[in-house]
Order: sequence, then structure tokens, then C-alpha cells
Amino acid sequence: MIEVNNIQKKYGKKQILNGLSFTAKKGEITCLIGVNGVGKTTIMKAIMALTPIDSGEILIDGQKIRHDSFEKITFIPDTTTMLPTMKICDAFEFMADFYKSWNSQRAEDLLRFFKLESTNRIGNLSKGSLAKVNMILGLALDVEYVLMDEPFSGIDIFSREQIAEVFTSHLIEGRGVILTTHEISDVEHLIDRAVLIDDGKVIKQFSVEDIRENEGKSVVDVMREVYR
Amino acid sequence: MSVKFNNRDPVYVQVIRHFKEQIAKGYFEPGQEIPSRRELANQLKINPNTAQRAYKEMEEQGLIFTEGNMPSCITKDELVLKSVREELMMEAVDLFLVSIKSINVPLAEVLDLVQKKYDADNGEVEELT
Repeated sequence: MIEVNNIQKKYGKKQILNGLSFTAKKGEITCLIGVNGVGKTTIMKAIMALTPIDSGEILIDGQKIRHDSFEKITFIPDTTTMLPTMKICDAFEFMADFYKSWNSQRAEDLLRFFKLESTNRIGNLSKGSLAKVNMILGLALDVEYVLMDEPFSGIDIFSREQIAEVFTSHLIEGRGVILTTHEISDVEHLIDRAVLIDDGKVIKQFSVEDIRENEGKSVVDVMREVYR
Repeated sequence: MSVKFNNRDPVYVQVIRHFKEQIAKGYFEPGQEIPSRRELANQLKINPNTAQRAYKEMEEQGLIFTEGNMPSCITKDELVLKSVREELMMEAVDLFLVSIKSINVPLAEVLDLVQKKYDADNGEVEELT
């Protein structure tokens, strides 16, 4: 379980996260929802210790993040982390050098699934292909938790379907996933839990099936209620 | 297999309904093997936990059964299968009655219309959900 407890974060004078708390369980897909600029990416970076937090605590299976936690959790950002001069196969080699949990067989399988060529240069890839490469780099790690920042943004409909297919496959099953989106309709039927964020706080978190079952509401219905 | 899900009913309930419709239609035969939970999640693009929940519920309702490590199958129990068809029929009739009564239309008037429409649309009606 990933526990985010009462975290605060300022960029300069601007308070981005203001006492934000939520949990994400293993075996479930948790979706952070909020408008642009609300701090979703900052939360992910904070979980990965990529940005310091001013106060509060983040625990992964009860422990603070350490150097060896990165064999357990990974972050799929919506920007490229590899050098543009690298070929896809170079990026794979890079990952294999740095991570014990790198599963090269799975990387090859995913490459084929997404119909990409390992000799393509990162710098020459389209935005959609780049997102797919990022996804491969993250999902080919045998980790327990995967964080994904806007996996569907700026991606064409067919690629979205491919990514949705990944979400419903063994590649995700059993892992704990946290993803962010500002476009809920893409993931409405894929996620287990929704965490609604505004003003640096969690304003509501719920199981999407429970809210449909008990209140007959869609995620968007709930958003309309709380963002008014 | 693809299903258009609405966003307000629990997805697992919609999955069960889909199975019931397929059974009533005769698309699923008694004892027929059904996709695994993971295959179903993948086919319908739904969360695997949701597929799991739908199967668990259907097992409890006796719609499907699983023996040991074998794939799940549609029940062979004729009574259950018959009741699925009846249940869907009753639901449709109830829904129809509610809409008819809400606009105060006498039954005799509407039955004739139903007969005509049914004959005219026959064959196409099947796929409407």
C-alpha cells in the first residue's frame, strides 16, 4: 500500500499541496483526478522522491522511500527521460544496467505489442510513440507499484485503445497503479478508486463501483457535485 | 464480444446483465465454456477486479460454475436458464408498463400497436439493447 499522509508542498510562495492524504492499494488502479495545475504530477514526483516535500509523510508498504525502493516502484512520466540520440534498444540497455527488476523479455513483448522498432531513435518518435516507449520502460520492470502521469493525454484513439488493453491485461493485474488524468471518460471503466483533488487537498476518494452501486452516480456526476 | 457500458450502473452488474442476455438469446449454451476473468476484462476493456466480481456474483446466483482449476462454464441447470429468460422478460414488460401508464394509454390501444411494430421490425429487434 502507498500511503500519502498530510503532505505540504510550496513552489516559491505558491502552495501546491496543502495537507493532502490518500492511500492506494496493491492490486487496484487508483486514479488522481483534478484540473490542470492542481498538483497531480507533483504528488507523483513526491512519492518518487523526485521533489522534496515541506512536511508530511509518504510510505510504501509502511516504509519511507529508500534507494532500494526503486526496484519496487516506478514512475512513467509524460515526458521523455531518455536522451533523444538513443535508440529504443539503447534505452532498454540503459534500464537493464540500472535496474535489477528489468525484464527484457517483457520489454520485447511490449515492443511487439505496440508495433515499435527497437532501432528507432527516441528523438525521432512521435508524441504517441514516445508515450508508448515510456510505458514499456515502466511496465517492463517487475515492480509492485506503477505511477503513470497522464497516460492518455495527446494520444490518438487507436493508441488509447492499445493502452487501455494494457490496463486490462496481466501486465497490470496484481500491481498497485496510481494514474493521473484530467479526462476521466478514458478510464472510467478501468479504475478501482478515484481520488478527487482540488486546492491542494483530497476532497473526496471513493470506489467507483461502490458509488455506482450505492448512489447510482458516475464518476463525472460526483465530480460535478464536488467541484461546484 | 463488446458491450457498451453506461457510467451510472455498476460495471459488474452490467456484465452480469450482458451474460444473462446472451443466455436468454441462446448464444451461450448450457455447459458452454466462458472466457477466463482476465480474458473477459481484456475483451470488454474493464478492470480485472470488476470481471472477478461479476464472475463471483454469477457463481453465487448459479449462472456459472467452476470445477477445480477448470475454466468456468455456463450452468446446465435448466431451471436457472429458464428463469433468466423469464426475469429479462418480466423486466422488459415492467419497464414497458411504467412508460405506458405514465402517459395514461389504455392497454387495448397499445397492444395492437405493439403487434404491428413487432411484425414490422422483426429480425432487427434482436440486437437492440
